Amino acid sequence: MNVFQYFGENSAQIIALTIQHAQFVFYCVAIGSIISVALGLIVSTGEPNPNRFSFDWWATGIREGSLLITAAVLTIPSLALFVLFLPITGLGVTTAIIVLTIYTLYTVLRNTVAGLTAVDRSILESARGLGYGRVRRLLTIQLPLAWPVILNGIRVTTLISISIAVVASIVQGPGLGKLLLTGITRIGAANAFPQVLIGTVMCLVVAAVFEIVFAIVQRLTIPRGIRV
Amino acid sequence: MSETENMIVLEAVEKIYPGSTSPAVERLDMTIPRGEIVMLIGPSGCGKTTTLKMMNRLIEPTSGRIILDGDDVTDVNGDQLRRKIGYVIQQGGLFPHYSIADNIGVVPKMLGWDKNRIKERADELLHLVGLEPSTYRDRYPRQLSGGQQQRVGVARALAADPPVMLMDEPFGAIDPITRDRLQDEFLEIQRTVGKTICFVTHDLQEAVKLGDRIAVFGTGGRLAQYDDPDTVLTHPADDFVSDFVGGGAAVRRLSLLELSRLELHPIETEEKAVGNRNGTPVAEVDGSGRPVAWRHLPDRDAAGTTLVTVPLSGTVYDAVDVMLDGSASLVAVVDEEGLPKGVLHWNDLVAGLKTRERGA
Repeated sequence: MNVFQYFGENSAQIIALTIQHAQFVFYCVAIGSIISVALGLIVSTGEPNPNRFSFDWWATGIREGSLLITAAVLTIPSLALFVLFLPITGLGVTTAIIVLTIYTLYTVLRNTVAGLTAVDRSILESARGLGYGRVRRLLTIQLPLAWPVILNGIRVTTLISISIAVVASIVQGPGLGKLLLTGITRIGAANAFPQVLIGTVMCLVVAAVFEIVFAIVQRLTIPRGIRV
Repeated sequence: MSETENMIVLEAVEKIYPGSTSPAVERLDMTIPRGEIVMLIGPSGCGKTTTLKMMNRLIEPTSGRIILDGDDVTDVNGDQLRRKIGYVIQQGGLFPHYSIADNIGVVPKMLGWDKNRIKERADELLHLVGLEPSTYRDRYPRQLSGGQQQRVGVARALAADPPVMLMDEPFGAIDPITRDRLQDEFLEIQRTVGKTICFVTHDLQEAVKLGDRIAVFGTGGRLAQYDDPDTVLTHPADDFVSDFVGGGAAVRRLSLLELSRLELHPIETEEKAVGNRNGTPVAEVDGSGRPVAWRHLPDRDAAGTTLVTVPLSGTVYDAVDVMLDGSASLVAVVDEEGLPKGVLHWNDLVAGLKTRERGA
C-alpha cells in the first residue's frame, strides 16, 4: 500500500489527529506564554539598587533563577520528562499538557526579559520625567516596545513545541505522535512507512499554518511607529 | 496656587548617593525667580544634572526642602508632581510607538483632558515649535530629524502648560548649525510662553546666550557662582569659576559676549548732528538707511576712518575681527536690516571687558 492509498483510506483520522496536534500545541504555547510574559513583566520592573535591599532584588533573583531553571529543563530529553511525570499525573492529556507547557517557558521568558530590558533608557527616563508611574510605564511604554521581541519568542517556541508534542504520545497524549509512534515501532511492517511519512508531513503543515497566523498577528499587533 | 516671586526654591538641598561618603550635591540653597531661564553649568560630575532632577524629584534629595511656587513639594507624590513640570531630555526621548500628536498628548491624557482638547493642543504646540500640524501630527518619531524630534520634545513638555520646565542638555546631541537655530527658536518661544526654565548644559556659549542667570557648579556638587551671565564672565567668584569660564584666555570670552547684550555707544545719522560736536559719531547713510561712511567722529578724522559694520546678532569677537580687518578703531553695530544700532569702540574692549579683580 503506498502513501497516497494510505492517506486516502485514513484521511478522516489523519486530519483529526492533525487538528488535535495543532490544538495541543496552541493550548500549551498559550498557557506557557501567559505565564512567561507575566513573570517577565513582574521581574523586569527595574534594576536593583546595589545599596538598598528592595523588591528589585527579589525580582532580579527570581528572574535569573527562573531563566536558569527553564533553560536546564530545556536540556532534559523530552522522552524522559514525559515519563518522569507519569507517577505524578498518570497517563493522558494532563501529563502531556503540563510537560509541553514547561518546554515552552524558556524561550518566551528569555525574549520577554531581553525585550523589556532593551528598551532605550532615554525613553524610560523621559516617561518617568513626564509623570509615568512604574506600572503605567511598564504596560504602555515598555511592553509595546518589547512586543516584537516577545512575539518572536512565542513563534520560535511554537515551532519547537510542534516537534516535542509528537513525543507526548508515549504518555498517551493527543496529536500526530500517535501516528508517528505507531509507524516507528512497527517499522518494516505494512503501512509503517506511510504512517511515519504522513505524520512528518502533517507536522510541517501545522508549522506552516502557525507561521501564517504569526505573520498576521505580527502585522496587527506591532505598533506602526516601530514596524520595520 | 499663589503668585510668588520665586518659582523654585531649594533650601539646604543635599544629595548623598548610597554607598558614597561625599555628597553629589552639597547643601544647596538656590532661588529661581518666576519667568527666568536659569542655566546650570559645570564640569561632568559636578551635580548639575542631579540638582535638576531633584527639582522634579526624579532623584530624591537626601535632605533639604524643595518649594515649588510657594508649595513644599518635598514629600508629595512624585508622579503627580512631575505631570505639573515640563521635562525635556537629549534627543527628546520621544516614544517611538506613538505618533507625534500622541507623544505631545501624553501628559494631558494622564491629566484626563478630553480627546478634542488634546488634539487641538497638539496642533497649537506643533505650530508654536514651527512644525506644520497637518504634515507632522500623524508621523512617527523615527520619520523626523534630530532637530525636529527635539522640537516635539519641547512641545510635549509644554503640553499641559506647566509653569516650570526642566531641560537636561536638550540640544546636546544636535549639530552646531541646527543647535544655533533651535536656541534662537527656544528664546522666541520663551518670549511667548514666559515659563520658569531650568536648563542643564555643558556649553558656556549656550549658557551665556540663553540664560538670564547662570549657576556654575564646582566639583563635589558645590554651587560656585550664581549670577547673571555678564557678572559670571567679568567677575568670576573664585579661581574655579575663573578657570571654568576661561579666566586666562580673555580673548575666548569675547566670543561668548553677544553684542545685543552690551551697552553700545549711540550713533547718529542726521546731517544736523555734524555741527554739535557732542561726541556722538555720525554716519552717512544710503537710500535704505544703511551706514556707508563716517561723516563726523569726535576725536579723529572721519574721512580717514573706514566704516565697518557688524551685525547685532554677532559677538564681540566678530566686532574685533572686522575692526582688525578694516584697521578701524570703532565699528558700527547694525540690525538685521542693516540699520545702525550703535557703536563699539576699540577702547571699550580694554575698559569694559577686561578681567577685573574680585570685588573691584
